Amino acid sequence: MNTASPIKILSDEELALKVARGSLPSFEELVSRYSSRLFYFLRHRTETDQDIEDLVQETFLKAFKGIKSFNPECKFSTWLYTIAVRQAISRYRTNKKRKARPKALPRIPDPEEIVIQKEESKNLWRLASNLPKKEFEALWLHYSEDMPVKEIAKITKKKPITVRVLLHRARLNLARKIDQSAFSGQLAGTTPVKHKFSVL
Amino acid sequence: MFCTIYKWLISQATNSGKPLSGRLLRHTHRCSSCHEFAQFCGSLKTKLAQDKQDILYDHDKVLDQKVISAVHKELTSIPGRQAEPRKKTALRPALVPILAAAFLILAVSMSIIFLTVPRSEKEISLGRISELVSTASPEDILGKLESPLEREYLELKQTLDSTTKFLLSSFNYHIGQQAE
Repeated sequence: MNTASPIKILSDEELALKVARGSLPSFEELVSRYSSRLFYFLRHRTETDQDIEDLVQETFLKAFKGIKSFNPECKFSTWLYTIAVRQAISRYRTNKKRKARPKALPRIPDPEEIVIQKEESKNLWRLASNLPKKEFEALWLHYSEDMPVKEIAKITKKKPITVRVLLHRARLNLARKIDQSAFSGQLAGTTPVKHKFSVL
Repeated sequence: MFCTIYKWLISQATNSGKPLSGRLLRHTHRCSSCHEFAQFCGSLKTKLAQDKQDILYDHDKVLDQKVISAVHKELTSIPGRQAEPRKKTALRPALVPILAAAFLILAVSMSIIFLTVPRSEKEISLGRISELVSTASPEDILGKLESPLEREYLELKQTLDSTTKFLLSSFNYHIGQQAE
């Protein structure tokens, strides 16, 4: 017997339509589906976790207020990510006006942090989070949200060719990073991995 | 030498999800770097999908709760905002008699102007024409439009009659009658 809640089996677009008709549980389901994804996506846009949480909250609030303008023929994820990007830009501009932060001095990580970083480097997304912001966002939207180049271009307000270039660079840089992490592992004697992307 | 181009083509094939073309395949068989890159691109989707679950933010749904409570707050604040009575712009007590006097003066002066100054002839005639057009038939309109001439003719006739009477009374001269 299938015990899954009827809301769980609905698509994002169907849920959005229900929210437009006033269903709050449908909105809660959308929040649970997207909050963590948005959080990770917006990590590059702000500095602290608190800022990212605020940004995610603002994005959902904006989406909730404007849910009636959502066209169900389009993908909900594209619509939501577009709002998120715009919110992030507007927040960045406000913060920029408010204060010009001094650049942080480069910090030398302690040995414990190095171990944690090495453990984390096994995860490709953690490695990818060190990529430049635009490359990471293109990679996230393409692989995590399964979006084609055109939709990424729409969200990020870039030309499709720019997105293709970003994705290509992201792949090359990620391959390099894997190569570097494997190489440093070899030096430390922890993970004897073949030096694969030395020629990239 | 052409590896940069080949890697770009591999990347584009990955974007579109199409298999590598024959030429690309031949090159990857010969070039180890491009071969590794093609393999990496091919496996990237699966690897990233696997790793996605590990990195996704999970604070025991704290963030979800925050978002939902913010929405609830928004929902409750909207009717409150609507129900809030609009602030009345209260008049200062000292201004009330001044405003009343000003209003009275204005009303009296307007009524004097309206009663004493007559409306212009043009305005009146235009008013009549519009009245005629809205009510009467075309023949009536023509007849009534010609009436000023008729009135003038009648006035002239009256003047002539009165002149004749005056002359008759003054000179006591009867045309066609013999003087006695």
